[in-house]
Amino acid sequence: MVNMIETKNLTKIYSDFTAVSNLNLNIKKGRIYGFLGPNGAGKSTTMKMFLGLTKPTSGSFQIDGMSYPNDRMRVLRKIGSFIESPAFYGNLSGEENLDIIRKILGLPKSSVSDSLKTVGLYEHRKRLAKKYSLGMKQRLGLAGALLGHPPILILDEPTNGLDPAGIHEIRTLIRSLPHKYDCTVLVSSHLLSEIELMADDIGILNHGRLLFEGTLSELKQYAKDSGLPIDNLEDTFLAMIEEDNLKRGSKR
Amino acid sequence: MSLLLEIKKLKRTGFFPAFLIGAILVACFPIINTAVRPENFINQNLPALDILMNANWQMIAMLNMFFLVIGSCIIYHTEFADHAMQKMEALPQSIGKLFINKTLILIGSIIFALIIEAASFIFCAYYWFNTDNSFLPDILKYFGYEFILLIPAALLIMIIASLCQNMWISLGIGVIGVFIATMLPTDNLILSFFPFAMPFQTLNNAIDNSWISPFLISSGIQTILFSIIEVCILKVRRNIA
Repeated sequence: MVNMIETKNLTKIYSDFTAVSNLNLNIKKGRIYGFLGPNGAGKSTTMKMFLGLTKPTSGSFQIDGMSYPNDRMRVLRKIGSFIESPAFYGNLSGEENLDIIRKILGLPKSSVSDSLKTVGLYEHRKRLAKKYSLGMKQRLGLAGALLGHPPILILDEPTNGLDPAGIHEIRTLIRSLPHKYDCTVLVSSHLLSEIELMADDIGILNHGRLLFEGTLSELKQYAKDSGLPIDNLEDTFLAMIEEDNLKRGSKR
Repeated sequence: MSLLLEIKKLKRTGFFPAFLIGAILVACFPIINTAVRPENFINQNLPALDILMNANWQMIAMLNMFFLVIGSCIIYHTEFADHAMQKMEALPQSIGKLFINKTLILIGSIIFALIIEAASFIFCAYYWFNTDNSFLPDILKYFGYEFILLIPAALLIMIIASLCQNMWISLGIGVIGVFIATMLPTDNLILSFFPFAMPFQTLNNAIDNSWISPFLISSGIQTILFSIIEVCILKVRRNIA
């Protein structure tokens, strides 16, 4: 299967702190890739590099065969993104916020209502974004990413702040995206239980290093071979992180 | 198109009403100043425009500078308050163009304020000084000159506002800059080149001291310099982010 996103020894160092270290990711076209790791593992930094928001210290990456900085505009045209916290203009309504993004992307007017309906915000479209609840802001951010059905979606912890029903709804939506819009999704979370229900492939990151990449069944096999607990995947994940932390500690 | 988008982003921020009401209030200043003590002005043996400039411009220039400072803060606060800037940076558009469009809005708004202020000068000149129409080309020259001297200050305060995610920091820097400018003597050529101090210069003062060219050249150089600085900031920002 063709890789939509591919990184080669991607590294990001902030003065004395290595956020991402020699990362080699292979995100296949039309799949949902769950990017898993504890807080501060380097997930957001990696995603920011894909969006050109931060420059890699070394290494490289390709998105649909294109690279930064030469193809910046073309790459960004293909990506719908939602990074860290919801980003919006508080003084504008949900609809006006999406209309700004729509105009920048040169999309038809109908795309705004389509997107609002998809995330369940259509009824609240006229309300000022600053008056939205956290969950609604999260949905607005997601609507902005989905606008125009881009072939690549980069979603950084998209279910943060949502109630259980909202989490289920967004999870189901994300799950349906590759089938509905023929897109590739990179979604991050610090919860394996979350990723387990959404992703086809998983990448586990700790302290900027990739500990595992593969499908869920491959993860189970890997855990079995390594003597890690396999009854509960959350325990597998925690054991992997702990083992890596211990190794890092002994190296120091 | 992108300029219209930037205008749309300022909806409900109070930016345009602030400029409109502010400009009208500033325009009232020369009218009230002349109305309450006309004898102090109409008996002077100087052209009407020079009298009005000498009597009112320092106050008007200071208020115009405050407009620039507050305007730039509002413009960038909308971007930073709810992280909208992060979304803008992840979209296929040039952040340099975004800065240019925002600066154009600020400059356009200050042109609007200058036009209203010029209209109040015209009113004063006709009402109290009984001037003829030869006054009109002069007022264009005077206010055109003031506008050129305002451009570097507008660019500088926009750079400051674009760098400070916390609006209060850029507001504080701007206010300090304006107060420093008010303390600088207007008869010292070198000190008057401070970007925030240049708008306090008047054309009649520049003619008397043969300073027209130095100020126009300084304004041009500072405009180019600040534009280059902004380009460098955009490049460095991405590299160190």
